[in-house]
Amino acid sequence: MKTTTSIILFMASSFCFSQVNCFIFLEGSPERQACELCDEAIKHPQGSKASQLLFDKAIAVGPKFAWAYYEKSVPYFKRGFLLEGLEILNEAIRLKPLEYLCYRAYWYWQYRNYKLCIQDLETYYSMPKAFIQFTPGGEKDMRIILGLAYAKTGNYKKGIETIKTCINSYDSEDDFGFADYHSLAILYVKNKQYGEAIDAIQKQLLINKDIADSYYYLGLAYLGIQNKTEARKQFENAILKLNDTNRYFNTNAGFMVHESDVVEALNNLKN
Amino acid sequence: MLKNNYYTFFIVILFVFGCQNSKKVQKYYENQIGDTPFDKTKDKPNFKFCDSTKVLHKRAYIRYSGGEKALEEALIKKYIFQPNYKTFSGYFIIRFAVNCNNETGRFRMEILDTNFMETNCPKDLQNHILSIAKSLKNWHHPFYKGKDYDGYRFINIKMKNGKIVKS
Repeated sequence: MKTTTSIILFMASSFCFSQVNCFIFLEGSPERQACELCDEAIKHPQGSKASQLLFDKAIAVGPKFAWAYYEKSVPYFKRGFLLEGLEILNEAIRLKPLEYLCYRAYWYWQYRNYKLCIQDLETYYSMPKAFIQFTPGGEKDMRIILGLAYAKTGNYKKGIETIKTCINSYDSEDDFGFADYHSLAILYVKNKQYGEAIDAIQKQLLINKDIADSYYYLGLAYLGIQNKTEARKQFENAILKLNDTNRYFNTNAGFMVHESDVVEALNNLKN
Repeated sequence: MLKNNYYTFFIVILFVFGCQNSKKVQKYYENQIGDTPFDKTKDKPNFKFCDSTKVLHKRAYIRYSGGEKALEEALIKKYIFQPNYKTFSGYFIIRFAVNCNNETGRFRMEILDTNFMETNCPKDLQNHILSIAKSLKNWHHPFYKGKDYDGYRFINIKMKNGKIVKS
């Protein structure tokens, strides 16, 4: 099932952010020329002078070809040039908001501007033609990111609703992300809905039991219902998993757990 | 006649604003986006790359001892709040390099407001944040595909009313 999910996620993310088929544009049209220049550009290392010059050439010949702006912007975001990246990407969004709004939301999320992330994703999901989009790595549905972003602003209730709606929209278990229930459980714990949190983590463990943080939050949920024995057991499981080199690293977790957090929780139990 | 003048005026205005709105196309690039050449007004001359031809732009490969949590704790510990900092809410995005000897240099900073627009903050706050970033010593240079490298990365410090916001 994991493999199937991986393939689906990979395909979906590839669909959203990958190469454009240049043959869909009329031969000789500015878009076709720009597209072919971008195809050349991405053969060079990302962020290289050669690639950037080709993107500029593509933009000059086909200023309405959104993909060029998008591809050009990527290394700026990855390397801490946020202003420059936004200036370029905004042009892609102006031309094709449906395709690129989620990508900007992703970088707002990465740079911890949850207000702007929410703003973009709310705009995106209000569009009639909005489709399912994922983080660039393909591991999370952007609706999970929206839910986590609400939680980051303290609106746990809206975060829970958003993630539940996302999970409920899946046709089958194969569509679940590796950390969707985990994300939901975090928000339940934050909102002090411990019973719901335990249920969500149990579902998470059936899909992917390799996230160390899942055991920590499960421990917190048990602590919330005064079950200290089970809480201790889960905190110990979290420590074991944190030391497991094959554990699943939950990218874009939003709420990361560190070993010191778990040790602190265990120490608090002793007092 | 008057109508014609209006049209002329309108076209001129369109042209002028059209030019102003056209995107600035960067004409000059370093070999890689983010390569930061020495600037005597900003950089200490004793910071050297071990191999300036192969500086990595893979931020995840530059670690801080104890991880990102320890990094954040170090930033908060070194930060000394002053009442005039309260006016600032926004972000400091600080790019820098770590050479193969784990020394840091080539610090550059973007200061953004809560809408991610370029902004200013009290000068002493700006200097304080930069000096904290420069004072961090526990960086580990990239070890990539079995080899030691110099590398670039950045940190993002989020602030609300002059206080550092935890991740």
